[in-house]
Amino acid sequence: MIKITDLQKTYRTEEVETIALNKLTFEVKEGEFVSVMGPSGCGKSTLLNILGLLDDPDGGSFIFNGIEVAHFNERKRADLRKRNIGFVFQSFNLIDELTVFENVELPLIYLGVKGPERKQRVETVLDKMQIMHRRNHYPQQLSGGQQQRVAVARAVVNNPKLILADEPTGNLDSSNGNEVMTLLTDLNEQGTTIIMVTHSEHDSRYSHRIIRMLDGQAVTENILI
Amino acid sequence: MIKNYFKIAWRTLLRYKAYTGINIFGLTLSITAAILIFTLVTYQFSFESFNHNKDRIYRIVTDVSSDANLEHLPCVPQPLGKAFRNDFSFAEQTARIVYYRRVLLSLPQEKESKKFQEDDGVAFAEPSFFHIFDFPLVKGDPNTALANPHSALITESIAKKYFGNTDAMGKTLRVNNDIDFTVTGILKDLPPNTDRRQNIYLSYDNLKDWNPSFASDSSWPNLYSGSMCFVLLNKGVSPATVDKAFPGFVNKYYKGDDAKANAFRLQPLSDIHVNAEYDGRIDPKYLYTLLLIGIFLLATACMNFINMATAQALNRSKEVGIRKVLGSLRNQLFWQFIAETAIITLIAGVIAWFAAILLLPPLNTLTTSHMTLDLLSTGRTIAFCFIVFLVVIFAAGSYPGLILARFQPVLALKSKLSQAHIGGFPLRRILVTSQFAISQLLIVGMIIIAWQMHYSNSLDMGFDKEAIVTVPVPTADPTRMHTLRDQLRTIPGVENLTFCYQPPASRHNQTTDVTYDNRPHTERWEINVKNADDHYLAAFGLHLVAGRNLYPSDTIREFLVNETFVKKLGLSSPHDVLGKLIKAYGVTAPVVGVVKDFHEYSLKSEIEPLCICSETGRYEACSIKVNPHELHETLARIQNAWNGSYPDYVYSYTFLDDRIAEFYLMDNILLTLVEVFAGIAILISCLGLYGLVSFMALRKTKEVGIRKVLGAGVGQICWLFGKEFFRLLLIAFVIAAPAATMITNYWLRDFKYAIHPGPGLFLVGLLFSCLIAVIAVGYRSLKAAIANPINSLRSE
Repeated sequence: MIKITDLQKTYRTEEVETIALNKLTFEVKEGEFVSVMGPSGCGKSTLLNILGLLDDPDGGSFIFNGIEVAHFNERKRADLRKRNIGFVFQSFNLIDELTVFENVELPLIYLGVKGPERKQRVETVLDKMQIMHRRNHYPQQLSGGQQQRVAVARAVVNNPKLILADEPTGNLDSSNGNEVMTLLTDLNEQGTTIIMVTHSEHDSRYSHRIIRMLDGQAVTENILI
Repeated sequence: MIKNYFKIAWRTLLRYKAYTGINIFGLTLSITAAILIFTLVTYQFSFESFNHNKDRIYRIVTDVSSDANLEHLPCVPQPLGKAFRNDFSFAEQTARIVYYRRVLLSLPQEKESKKFQEDDGVAFAEPSFFHIFDFPLVKGDPNTALANPHSALITESIAKKYFGNTDAMGKTLRVNNDIDFTVTGILKDLPPNTDRRQNIYLSYDNLKDWNPSFASDSSWPNLYSGSMCFVLLNKGVSPATVDKAFPGFVNKYYKGDDAKANAFRLQPLSDIHVNAEYDGRIDPKYLYTLLLIGIFLLATACMNFINMATAQALNRSKEVGIRKVLGSLRNQLFWQFIAETAIITLIAGVIAWFAAILLLPPLNTLTTSHMTLDLLSTGRTIAFCFIVFLVVIFAAGSYPGLILARFQPVLALKSKLSQAHIGGFPLRRILVTSQFAISQLLIVGMIIIAWQMHYSNSLDMGFDKEAIVTVPVPTADPTRMHTLRDQLRTIPGVENLTFCYQPPASRHNQTTDVTYDNRPHTERWEINVKNADDHYLAAFGLHLVAGRNLYPSDTIREFLVNETFVKKLGLSSPHDVLGKLIKAYGVTAPVVGVVKDFHEYSLKSEIEPLCICSETGRYEACSIKVNPHELHETLARIQNAWNGSYPDYVYSYTFLDDRIAEFYLMDNILLTLVEVFAGIAILISCLGLYGLVSFMALRKTKEVGIRKVLGAGVGQICWLFGKEFFRLLLIAFVIAAPAATMITNYWLRDFKYAIHPGPGLFLVGLLFSCLIAVIAVGYRSLKAAIANPINSLRSE
């Protein structure tokens, strides 16, 4: 599903040049659950941003579903992203001014899904995430675990092929964290590919494979199953 | 999607209440001002537009050239209309109209004796006048109503006022206790946007009964300001064609110097109200000034909006980041922000509309207008509001919208965006500088107008204008004048009095040719003639610089002249003119004295040569110098005395200083409006500055904390905020000062006797702006400066 080859990304300021990704190469097959680990500054987040089509690589190849996407323009990236990729963030990133229902509905609006269908799909996913009773609440009225469940609901509502999770349990206690990991595992079992950046060895054990990064390169791979 | 835009927009606005409030308040003020200014300007330009033939209606006007001067007169010689009709076939209709103010009207048929005097007077009009103008009759036949002698048309209001609920048709109106007219038609009340203000029209045939010599076909040399001629040109006839025919026309009816001096031309109907060179009520430059101020105000409010929106854009970065991650495109984010702007503008627009309706009556009072703002009849204003709405939305919303839409999602999500990413800071500097410049321009403008007005009111006009009451002299009957004089003299509060044509400075002046000392030709300039008795100098405190005062006389036997007259003659000393004969008004008499120059009109006019001579038949006023301490009682006694002398007429009085103030009516109105609008502009700018400093304070919390921990004092912290604004203030001053100089010089050009603003004035403007900035910036920066640094550092 994803094949990156010699991926490079360098950040430049006036005086400093930081190599975030240094000829990174790996592949993720459809249906895999892959964890990316490594110390701070090793390039995990940069990788996730490029995989999520939020950022451009400077060099190398990024093939998504058989299409070279490394040099897509913003419009094409946005289109591919909204149809195929869901995001789960450490800090949930829900919009404070929108209710739970409206937050989850947002990707469907950008996809141009009609109102009645949107309602049905949002309710289904909220039900599945067991957060339906909070549908009219605002994010700040929810616990951290509930907020992350809403974020997951939002990530999956448009049935993406790929979910990118950036430290999804980082702001949660262990019980809520486990709950979220179980949700991701369930989604993976239903066929969604998941790439998760994490510092947590515990969380990484939910995945099939761990890619360990250092200085912008993949140094080891651990296959867990 | 659009619903979503508005939903989130609404909630965002509720969340940032202060931001929303400041923007709505600023926009409301500026849109209210814009609506009022637009209404005022369109009202002034709408004069006479109700006439369906407006594009073919013209007034014939006179340009008189004498010496180096060209005088523009709205009137024409009385016989001109008839001659034009006979000589040319350019016009479908030609109408002469002669109006007189201060006409006594009485109702001989009524049981109760009633007398009236209408402010706008009465007009003798040819029937064709009502074929040119759309003044419909509600009763009577427009083709015949004024055709017969002794017929009259009156408006519905006059009919009601004079005859109550009884039918006015067929009733008799007596004019000046002399000529009777029968009401043959009732006119629908005239619309407010016409300068044809008379409510009573009399048969033109009767002009000869009123003033036989003026009404004669040979009275070409006489020019009376109330004598006008309107034409409705045939379709296809251009005014240029008619103007080309006028020189030949002039040569046919004038001879010699008169033929060289007089010229006629057509003035379009739409030009009449706004051409101050003739008798236009308003100078369009005042209207353009107001339009400019309106644009300034809208621009200031938009600048505020952009400033505040870009300053608080960082608060929106997370939301924008999430939306981008979820697939939102730039244009979708842009439109979302535009939706927010639209909501703010719509709320402001609705409040502004109602505010404008509330403020219209005082504006009407101030400008003596009859403007309305109802939804049905003001389509143009609504269209204007809609355009303002769109312009404000896009002017104010586009830039912040683009900024927000341009956010990089990765940085936005991680709150790593800074002001540098927004890139709005240089723009904000430019906008704040522009706001300061506009405020300074308005402040300097306001000070200059106020100063000039004060100067005009306080300048020694060369005569005494305090505590002088003027009452009319309705008839030229010397016996009654003598009686009135004798009675007035017995009143203790009366210090002096004079019978005259008009006081020294007046809107009403009469001019004539003059021949000096048996020179073969008349001088190439005209003189202003002040008919007055021998008490004129004493009553008005005029000073003689040579010779003596007039001796008492009822006819012209000698002249006084002014210093300008002597200078115009090329004489070196006032004494040189004494004893010399001059011929004016057909009378040759010696000059017996020279009076010190005084202003005969407003300070917008130069002092002209004039003569003062006694001629009882031309006296129209009695000016009475009263003791201001017994004013009330004295005025009552004057009225009693006047009513005793003129029991058949309507009493009225004016104070001379009020009449002089009327010269500057439009300037005073402009001053009031500039004061109000400058105040609004300053208030909007203050709000904007306050908002900006609030955001700055929020952003600089950590910096302030660290600086305080390191020992910075309150003053130093305040300066941290203030220095930026004061730098911008100085830049604005550099821009505003030359612009203000240019604009005020343009305005002051109209005043022949004007103030000369020096650099001090601009410094006052600068100091005033500084004061405003201190007030706007001071509170918030002081609050930040005295905050406990521990708290600010902890909050970071």
